[in-house]
Formats: sequence, structure tokens, C-alpha cells
Amino acid sequence: MSYEEFTRKIISELKDKFENIAVRVVDRNSMMLKIWNNQPGVLQTWRDIQVSLLLSKQKRVAVLELRASSPDELLAVARRVGDLMPKVEESELPIELPEPGKPAPLEGGYDKKVLEYSSDPKLLVEAMVSSALSAGAERTAGTLELEEVSTTIATSKGFEGTYKKTGVVAHLRSFKDDVSSHWAWGSTAVDVKKLEEVGAKSASFLSLAKSKTSFEPGKYDVILSPLVAGNLLNYVASMSSGMSVLLGMSFLSRRKVGEVVASEVFTLVDAPRDTSLPGLAPFDDEGVETYNKPIINRGKFVSLIHNTATGKVFNAKSTGNAGWINPRPWNLIVEPGISSFDKMVSEMRRGYFILNNWYTRLQNYVEGQFSTVARDLVLEIRDGSIVGYVDRVRIAERFENLLKSVKELSKEVYDITWWEVRIPTRAPYILAENINLTKPSI
Amino acid sequence: MIDEVLLEKIVDIARNQGATYAEARFQEDISESLIMRNGRVLGVNTTVSRGIGVRVLVGGALGFAATNRLDQESLISTVSEAVSRARAISSLMKSSIELDESRVGRASYEVVPKVKLEDYGVEDRIGLGKEIYSAVGGSLRQAKLPVLTFGIDTHIQRKVVVNSDGALVRSAIPRIYVWVNFVESIPEKGTIQRRVDFGASGGIEWLKEWRVVDEVVEEAKNLENVLASGVEPPREEVDVIVGSEIVGLIVHESAGHPMEADRILGREAAQAGESYVKPEMIGRYSVGNKYATVIEDPTVPGGYGFYLYDDEGVPARPRYLYKEGLIYEPLHNRHTAKIFGTSSNGAARAMTYAREPIIRMSNTYFKPGDMSFDELLEDIKLGVYMKSYMEWNIDDIRWNQRYVGLESYLIVNGEITKPVRNPVLEVTTGGFYSRISGVGKVLRFYPGTCGKGEPSQGVPVWYGGPDIKLSKIKVGVAL
Repeated sequence: MSYEEFTRKIISELKDKFENIAVRVVDRNSMMLKIWNNQPGVLQTWRDIQVSLLLSKQKRVAVLELRASSPDELLAVARRVGDLMPKVEESELPIELPEPGKPAPLEGGYDKKVLEYSSDPKLLVEAMVSSALSAGAERTAGTLELEEVSTTIATSKGFEGTYKKTGVVAHLRSFKDDVSSHWAWGSTAVDVKKLEEVGAKSASFLSLAKSKTSFEPGKYDVILSPLVAGNLLNYVASMSSGMSVLLGMSFLSRRKVGEVVASEVFTLVDAPRDTSLPGLAPFDDEGVETYNKPIINRGKFVSLIHNTATGKVFNAKSTGNAGWINPRPWNLIVEPGISSFDKMVSEMRRGYFILNNWYTRLQNYVEGQFSTVARDLVLEIRDGSIVGYVDRVRIAERFENLLKSVKELSKEVYDITWWEVRIPTRAPYILAENINLTKPSI
Repeated sequence: MIDEVLLEKIVDIARNQGATYAEARFQEDISESLIMRNGRVLGVNTTVSRGIGVRVLVGGALGFAATNRLDQESLISTVSEAVSRARAISSLMKSSIELDESRVGRASYEVVPKVKLEDYGVEDRIGLGKEIYSAVGGSLRQAKLPVLTFGIDTHIQRKVVVNSDGALVRSAIPRIYVWVNFVESIPEKGTIQRRVDFGASGGIEWLKEWRVVDEVVEEAKNLENVLASGVEPPREEVDVIVGSEIVGLIVHESAGHPMEADRILGREAAQAGESYVKPEMIGRYSVGNKYATVIEDPTVPGGYGFYLYDDEGVPARPRYLYKEGLIYEPLHNRHTAKIFGTSSNGAARAMTYAREPIIRMSNTYFKPGDMSFDELLEDIKLGVYMKSYMEWNIDDIRWNQRYVGLESYLIVNGEITKPVRNPVLEVTTGGFYSRISGVGKVLRFYPGTCGKGEPSQGVPVWYGGPDIKLSKIKVGVAL
């Protein structure tokens, strides 16, 4: 049975129980090779089918997710949920699935070489590791992930669609003495040269760490690498979901469309139709056609991202970002600037370059009050030159202040996906002024 | 559940295809959850995850494969793929992966709830969410309550682990988890946000013990006071009483994680990071003073991270991570134990069938002392009491950490006085464990979902401790 036939059968069997039904079938064939100490730690393989159902009846809403293979079980669980529905109260966000459109298909986004390399990824791994070792790393650790994903969506309103894509995610961390550096790449196609670049670039920063200098907490100009930009903007983009605003999990809840939330040089775009980034999707989980759109355009807040239900709350249309309950961004693109990493360094009087970060946590989502810890190199810059490296510092700021402090962006952009950047992000180097950096008191 | 004969067959197939070690784990996770916002239902969610994960050692390389297609053909194909792909990368192995000779178990166990999860129906759950929203809203005098989100999740996890060294372990663990996230607002003061979590293994009986409504209402009222009247923390060095909730988080982050042997060896270097602990420091290096004893124990009854055998079939037992300040015993699986020349202490866990078992915490706590809260307070002329937190983080070697207090107070002459807003404890691991000058006697546990691994897998854990006193700390303030 094809997945289209399968979803038709599910909808037909459940139509008497529910007024709105959406089915999503995700068939994933993926491989992940984990590297540590320059050698494979484990090679993981998944062959998985995930079936999810959005069900609603008389404004009651249920979501069912099954990572199990039997359609009969799916129907049995769904019918049980149907019997339960009268006991569930009306949802604050009732579901009314949209009338089906005809989303334009996406050209590209599938590379058959991805599956070919899955059976034997040695060449790709060696490309990453040997490039890093040649560029000065003593030790490396990282991940290579290859996947083929087929997604089928069907709704009781008559939408049916399937798209296939492939994904390559590679990241490598290079170590030498007591310093480390990291780089990452995410794409829909295999590119051996890009994998070599991940290795070489991850090690290339090591030679910039000449000597350790002292650090005092305070406000400094900072250059954020595309990895740091990717991590922080993943949070910003997730907070642009209508559901995040409703749940009090977004600093954008205090802002209206058109208000300034960032520097005028800053533009952040949700780009589901960019087929080189692995988050691509021609239509969302309600079958609505996706489109590329700015979330922030030249500093101004343009739009939250919505599914049909959250859109209704905000008097807006779906932006093609369903997620059934929580709308989600697909791919992120930060529009490039006119500067470069070297120019940013050469023009900086006193500040720091932060190569990588992790563990971003918020004290208050409504206020956007957060901190994040640097990992890997933090380089001190004085009078246009890198003078040394410091221990791991922490950015402790508010998102809006950070976004408004952006002064320059590089013209080079990098496609980043990794453990700390889950939404694929094309980002430049970003220069932000007067950013609060902290360190431990004891 | 699945017939273990099928798992034994999978193990045999792998061995026949050349695996020197093979393990097959059936795992089923079924959860029912409800989310409400401001007393109104957003939706209910049912999740069923069921499949088999296979691990093999071939030519010194480790392969893992998982599938939820449980027909014979798919299972054979999954095993074969695990073996062939491990073989394909074995030529890249500079040193072979080997497992220690730990004794593995043949056992069956389950956590039996006093009140079954299914006996607390959806209408009961909705009723609890409404009651919390109404009670919190009614308790606030000055502040508005723009958002209160409530969630309840009940989950049952069943596993069968079989491996080629003779393990056969069946288990069934039900868990319950409740969370409340709310924002309070006073226009001229801004907002304050809090997430409160309750979680344990067992059944609905926990709801009574947690007194969820009363606890959340009390927190909401106290936070209203912090929002309305909170002052900045003192600028000079002061004594700090760190509340048990934050102590629990600190030991999880700065004792549990750095004592995971896979981090110490670098296996997580590109993901969750490494550790300030080096192999030669174990049993020799003191990170703290005599008060600093941290215990990791999967067998704590009711623990959110409870288990009796790990996912390699090794029996669980308590481990002293830090003992009176000394770096004492890391958490091991059979691979790291082999490298360290010891035996596994049963720390391998996988959250779903589709994840490899890796070294994880379970229930981690700071060993209680003998002081009452008043005794901790009594000598403090000027200090800060940090009871709860929202923001926290720690660096990837588990040394440089930060906790931002939420419900916090100024201590003056041994008395709790004004509320303090957003005090920051930003310290190193060595700094924290060396400045402890008093330890409370009441041990409390808190639930969490600990993330690690790639792909990331969140496992349920408890972390806990008593209130403790730190001497001469410079407290910061969040902007």
C-alpha cells in the first residue's frame, strides 16, 4: 500500500468519528556516524515510519503520534481517542483545516548520492577528519548524518501530497593543546569539498589562539560566528511562532507588527522553499503551500509564523508553517551584509570573537532575558588585531537588545546545521556592539 | 511486549554474521498528555513508540540500527545493516571498541503504581488544570496573570533487553509528570516567569503528595512579592543560602555530567562536551571540601530516573561521584569500564528503541547534613537566599556555571527580609564545592529531562539535595 493509499484509508475509516482529520506519514531512512578521537564511535542506522494524526470534533482537539508499524493499531488508538473526545473540553484553538490548494512542488532538494554514501560513508568521514588534521588539529570529534525522508500529508478536506528530500549534516570539533574550535554544515546534497571545508575550517581557528589573556566582565563589541548566530536566531525564530506568543514564551509578545525589534541592517527570513537547506518543505502539515517570508525585515518585526488555528487568533492567515499545534520555522536565512570577518576584526578597537556557544537558557521569555555560554575559542581583539584567547565567557543579554545592537554583517554566509542549531540556518558573521559578557566570580 | 525468543534470534543472526557482541532491545513507550492555557484545553496528545534497537560490535567498530517495522524480514534487514555498516567502518578504527566482563542479569521487574495512570481520566486532568489556573489567579493581589500553561503527562515504558553475554531483562516503569508555566505582570515593574515541575516513577498517588495546587499558589504569591518589591542583591561578597532546588540542579550539572566516563574520554566531545575531570584525577583530586558528597542512585524508590538494570543488562547500584570533596567514581557503561580497567556500574540508558544506550544519570543528590534552615541562617549578617531559578547554564567541560535566582531574599542578621530580584550565582565547579560552609538536613528531589547524545535523547532524572550555605560569594544581577 502506498502512503497516499494508507492516508486515504485512515481518513475514510475515521471520518464518522471526527470532523477534521490530518494525517502525516514520515518515512525516514537515515545514518549517523559519530566520530571521536579521530575515529568512529558508533554508526547508527534508522529505518522508521512515524504516523501522526490531528483529530478534531466539535472544537475538541487531539494529536496522536505513532512510531509503530501497524495501521490497525493506529485506527484502534484513534477510535479510542474518538470515544474520549466528549470528555475533552472545547479547545481554545479549535481546528478548522483549510480548503486544499495546489502547492507548487519544489525542484531539487533530493540527491541520490546521499543514500549511496549511507552504506559506506568512509570517504566522507575521511574527508572531514583528514582535512582537520592537515589544518593543524591534533584531535577531532564530530558527526556525519545522511538521510532520506519522505513526508506525506493528507487531510479530510481533500489535500494529498508527498515530498521527498535528502539531508547531509556534518560538524567537526578540532582540538589542539587546551583550545578547541568547531564548524558545521547542513545541506540537501553531498558535496565532498564542503565536507573537507568543515574539517579544514574547524581547525583553521586554532592557529589564531596564540596566548591566553585575562578577561574582565563588562560590555564589549563582539563578532558572532555563523554558529553562534545560528544558535541564537533559532531561539528568535521559534519565539516568532504564534503559539509561543500565546504561551508566554516569546519576547515578541510585547511587540506589534511594524515595530522595530532589531537593527536596520538585520533581516531574518523563514525559507522553506530554499532547496539547498535541509529544512525545506513545499507544503506544511495542513497542506498549505509554504513560502519564503521575512520574520524581521531591516529591523522591523514583519510577522509571526502561523498555522491555521494560531493565525485565526491573531486575525492572520496561515503562513504555511504548521506544525499542528505549534507553528515552526523551516529554514532560516539571515540576509548578508557588506563586511567580512577580516574587516570586522581590523576595525575593532576592543572586543571579542565568539566562535561557538551552547546552553542558551532564558530567565524570562517575555522579556527575552537569556544567557549562553561560549564553547571553543573566544579571541580577544585589540586595535584591529587578535591578541590572544580567553576562557569560556558568557553572553548575558536580552534578545531585543542583541538584535538592535547588530552593526555589521559579513557578505559571506554559511549554511549551518548541528547539535545546537537544529533549524538549518544560513548566517553571516555578525558584529554587535556593547554586548554584556560575564564570567564566574570564584 | 515482545517474545524474547525473537530478540534472541536477532542476537544469534548478528553473531552468525560476524558480530563479536550483539544486543537487541525491544522498547515501547506510551504516553498520554494534556496541555491547557489559562484554564482552557489546547489539546490532548497520545504517543506510541514501539520498536527494536540492535547494537553490534564488528571488527572493533560499534554499529547501532533501529526500526519500528517488526516483521521478520525488516528485523533481519536491520540486523544485517547494523553488522555490514559496522564492518564497513571497521578499517577506520585505530583502537577497537571492547566491553568489560561485567556480570549481567536475567531478571524481570516493574514499578507498580498505587493508583494506576489510567484511573486518572482526561476529565480529572482538565479539572486539575482549571483548579490551578483559578487558584493562582485568585491568589494574586497586585499582579495580573496573563498566561498560565499547565501540562500533565503520564507515560509507561516497557523494555526487554537481550544480549550475547546472557542478559535478559524485562522491565515496566510508569511515570507521571506535571508542569505549570506562568507569567505575572505588574505594568510598572515588568514581568516575572516561573516553570514548576513535578515528576516521579509510579502512579497517580504522587499528585496527593505533591499538593500541586497549594505549591503553585504559594510560589505565585511569593513571586508577586518579588516582582512588586524585589531589590538588587548586595554588591559585596556575602554568604549565600542556595535552596535545594538549585543545589539539585548544580549537582546534576557539575557533579553528574562531569563524572560521566564517556565525557571524560571524549566520546561526547562534539556534542554535550567533555569534562574538567581527567582520568588521572579519579580518587586523587579534591574538587571541594568535606561537605561535598554527591551520590548517583538509580534505585531510589519513586525516582523519576528509577531503574534496577541498565540497558546493557548490568545491575544498578548507588555510586559516590564526589566523596567528601574527592572525585570518586565516574558513571560507567561496559565500554568505558573496559578502558578504565573497572566494571560497569550500570549507567547505560536509552530513552526510546531508536536511541543507542549511553551513559546517563538517574537520581543524583547532594548528601544531606544535620542543620535546620534556621541554623543555616543564624550566623549570616548579610546574605542572599536563592530558593528557585529559571535561567541556568554551564560550559561544556562542566566548570563555569550560572544560576539566576527567581524567588530570592535578602538575609539580614540571620533573618529573611526583603525579596531580591534576579540574583546571579556565577561560579566555577571548584569554587562552589569549596565554599560550602553548612548543609541542611532535609533532602528534596526535583524532576528533569536530561539531554545528551546525538541524536539527542532526553531521559527522566531526579536531582536533589538539601539547602546549603556558601561563604563569601559575590552575587551578580541579571540585566
